Amino acid sequence: MATTALTPAATYRSALYEWVTTTDHKKIGILYLVNSFVFFFIGGILALGVRSQLAVPDNKLFSPDLYNQLFTMHASLMLFLFIIPILAGFANYVVPLQIGAPDMAFPRINALSFWMLPLAGIIMLAGFLVPGGAAAEGWTSYSPLAQAKYSGVGTDLWLVAVTLIGTSSILGSVNFLVTIFKMRAPGMTMFRLPILVWTALVTSVLVLMATPVLTSALIMLFIDRNYGGAFFDPANGGNAVLWQNIFRFYSHPAVYIMILIVMGIVSEVLPVFSRKPLFGYKAFVFATAGIGALGFSVWAHHMFTTGTVYLPFFSFMTFLIAVPTGVKMFNWIATLFRGQLTFATPLLFALGFLTMFLIGGINGAFSAAVPVDFALHDTYWVVAHLHYVLFGGSVFGVFAGVYYWFPKMSGRMLNETLGKIHFLLVFIGFNVTFFPMHLLGLEGMPRRIATYASTAGWNQLNLLATIGSLIIAASAVPFLWNVLISLRSGEPAGDDPWEGNTLEWATTSPPPPYNFDHLPEIRSERPVFDARHGRTGGHGGQS
Amino acid sequence: MPQTAHDGALADLPRHGISNPILGMILFICSEVMFFAGLFAAYFNVRATAPIWPPSVAEVGPIAEHFDLHAEPWLAAVLTIILVSSSFTCQLGVWAIRRNDRRGLIRAIAVTLVMGVIFLIGQGYDYSQLGFGLSDGTFGTTFFTLTGFHGAHVLGGVIMLSVVLFRAMSGQFTARHHDAVEATSIYWHFVDVVWIALFSILYIIPTR
Amino acid sequence: MRFKHPRNAFAVGLLFVAIAVVYYLVSHDAGGTTTLFALGIAMGLAAYALVVGTPDDL
Repeated sequence: MATTALTPAATYRSALYEWVTTTDHKKIGILYLVNSFVFFFIGGILALGVRSQLAVPDNKLFSPDLYNQLFTMHASLMLFLFIIPILAGFANYVVPLQIGAPDMAFPRINALSFWMLPLAGIIMLAGFLVPGGAAAEGWTSYSPLAQAKYSGVGTDLWLVAVTLIGTSSILGSVNFLVTIFKMRAPGMTMFRLPILVWTALVTSVLVLMATPVLTSALIMLFIDRNYGGAFFDPANGGNAVLWQNIFRFYSHPAVYIMILIVMGIVSEVLPVFSRKPLFGYKAFVFATAGIGALGFSVWAHHMFTTGTVYLPFFSFMTFLIAVPTGVKMFNWIATLFRGQLTFATPLLFALGFLTMFLIGGINGAFSAAVPVDFALHDTYWVVAHLHYVLFGGSVFGVFAGVYYWFPKMSGRMLNETLGKIHFLLVFIGFNVTFFPMHLLGLEGMPRRIATYASTAGWNQLNLLATIGSLIIAASAVPFLWNVLISLRSGEPAGDDPWEGNTLEWATTSPPPPYNFDHLPEIRSERPVFDARHGRTGGHGGQS
Repeated sequence: MPQTAHDGALADLPRHGISNPILGMILFICSEVMFFAGLFAAYFNVRATAPIWPPSVAEVGPIAEHFDLHAEPWLAAVLTIILVSSSFTCQLGVWAIRRNDRRGLIRAIAVTLVMGVIFLIGQGYDYSQLGFGLSDGTFGTTFFTLTGFHGAHVLGGVIMLSVVLFRAMSGQFTARHHDAVEATSIYWHFVDVVWIALFSILYIIPTR
Repeated sequence: MRFKHPRNAFAVGLLFVAIAVVYYLVSHDAGGTTTLFALGIAMGLAAYALVVGTPDDL
C-alpha cells in the first residue's frame, strides 16, 4: 500500500482559503462536482415546477410567462451548469491521475475555468430578480422570440452567463488537450490510455471547435438585441433560421460533449465490476473519434421542419452516427458477457445507463427518418428522447462515477444499502416520468406548452409523469444522506477498494497533492491490474 | 542553437515537442478560427439570401450609396499593408531572440506594436468615414461585427505585444526561454491572416 | 501510432473539408459550408500541433 512520504507544509492556512485559492486539479475537480450538483438540484426544483403545472389540465398554478422561464432555466441550468461542467470535473480529477501526471498543464487556468462557473450561474439566475423575469424563450433561444421586443434583461443576463460558461469550457479544453498529449508518464502511450482519457480527449476537441461557434451566435444575438443589429430579426432584414443553423452547429456536437465522458466512465466501471478487460479497446477509440467527427455533420436534423434544409444529407448522416454508437453498445455488452459481476452501486448505475441510453438511442434513430420527424418534431416524443439520453444516459453515468470514485476522492466508502435505494428510486422514478412522454408525443402533445385542455386525452399520462418526478425528487434524499454520513464516518477505503485497473488506484485515497509517490510500470491500459497480478516488474509483462 | 530535446520553446524542432504554453496558444487559435467561422457563416448566409448584395438604394434607402466598399478600398489596402508588414517585423523579433539577440527583439517588437496601434487608429478613422453604422440593416451589422471583432483581437494582440515588450526590456527573455514571444507572435500572425480573409471578402471579391 | 511525417496530420482536416465540399454541392448552403470548411482548417491545425508537440513515444 502506498504511503505518503512528504509531510505537509508548516504554514497554517484555513480550509476555506485552501479551497478558494487551490490550483490542485483534485480539489478543482471536487469543486466542479459540488458546484454542478448545486445547479442540478436547483434545475430539479425548476423541473418540479414544470411538472406541477402540467400535472392536471387547464392548470393556473403558474402564469404562462413564468412557466416559460421555468422550462428555459431548467434546461439552461441542467445543460450549461450541470452536465457539461460535471463531466469536466470528473475529467479534471481523474485524467491527470490516470495518465500518471502530477497535475494539469495549466493549473491556474484550471482554477479560472472553475470560478467562472458559479459566477455565470449567479448571473443567469439573477434573471429571476429583474423586471420581466429570467430568460423565457427556451434554452435554444430562437428568434424572433429572443429579440428585444419580446424579451427583457433576463435574456441579456442569460447571454452573458452562457458566454462565460463557454469561455470556461474552451479554456478547459485547451488544458485537457495539452495535458493528455504532453504530460503522460513514461510507458503511457496513446493506445494504453484508459478510455475515460480518450473520451476526455475527443470531448475537448469538440468543445474547442464547437463552443466558439456558440459564442459567435450569442454575440450576434446580443448585438441584435442591444445595438440594433439585423442578424436574426426578420423585421430588420435578418434571418431567423440563420440563428438556428449557427446555434445547432454548436448544439449538436454539444450533446456528444454531454455523453462521451459518461461513456468513458461506464467503460471504466464495467471492466472492474465484471473482472474482465474492456472488449474491443481500439474499436472504442475509433468509435469515439468517429462520433466526434460525424457529430459535426448532423446539426440540421433539429431543423427538418423549417423547409430550408437539405433533408437527405442530414438524415443519412444521422443514421450513420448510430453505427459507432452501436459498436460501443456491443462492446460494453461483450465486456459484461461471462464476466464475474459484482452488483455494487457503480455497476447498477452503469447497467442503468446501458439500458436507458439504448432506449434513448433507438427513439432518436426513429426521429432520424424525416417523415417520422415531421410528425414528432417539437412534441413530447423529443422530450422523452432527450431525457432518456441525458438523464437515463448522462446522469446515470454521472452517478456511476460518483459511487466509483467517491472512495478515491474522500478516502471513505459510500454506504451500499443507501446506494441501492437511491438507484432503485431514481431508476423507477425516471421511467415513470419519461416513458409516458413517448406516448404523449405520439398523441400529438406539443412541447413547451404551459397547459393543455382536459379534452385532449393527455390527463392520465401527465399525472403519471408528475408522480414519477416526485419519486425522482425523493431519490435525492438517500443520495445526499449517504454522502453526508459517509464523509463523516464511512468505512475507510484504502488505496484500491474495487480492485481497479487504472493508475488512480495506485496511490492513496485521497491522493497526496503531487499524486504519486511511486508509479507502477506501465505496459498496458491496465497497469494496476498488471502490477497486482505480477505481470509487470520483470515477470514477463505483456502489453 | 538548441542542444538537446528539452531546450526552451523552439517550435521548429519537429518530433521533439512544442512547449506547453505554445501548444496551448495554437489550440486556442483553433478555437478562434471557429469563432470567426460563425461570424463569416452569418455573413455568407446573409449575402447569399439577399436579392442583391450590397443592398440597393431601392431596398434600404439612400444609405446604400455608402455600401460600395469596392469604390474606395485605399485606406483598407494601406491598413492591410501595415498589418502584413507588422507580422513580418514580429517574426524578425522571434528570430532575433532565438539567436539571443535581445536588442533585436526589443526593436522588432516595438516596431510591431507601433504598427498595430497605427492599424487600430486607421481602422477607427475608416469607421468614421464610412457613412453607415452597426444598425444600418444587414450590411452594416455584418460589416461592423466582422471588422469590429477583428479589431478587438488586434487590440488583444497589442496588449500582449506591450507585455512582451516590457518583459523584453526587463531582460526576461533568452534564447532558451522565450515562450511568451513565440506564443504572441503566433497569435499576431493569426490576427493578420484573419484580416487578409476579411479584406479579400469585404473589399476585393466581386459582389452580386 | 506513427505518422510518417507530422505534416500528414493535416489530413485529419481534409475529412471535414471533404464533408464541406459534398455539403455545398448538395445544399448550396453558404453558412454551413463556411463552418464546415473552417472546421477542416482548425482540425488540421490542431492535429498537426498535437502530433508535432507530442514526445516521441506517441
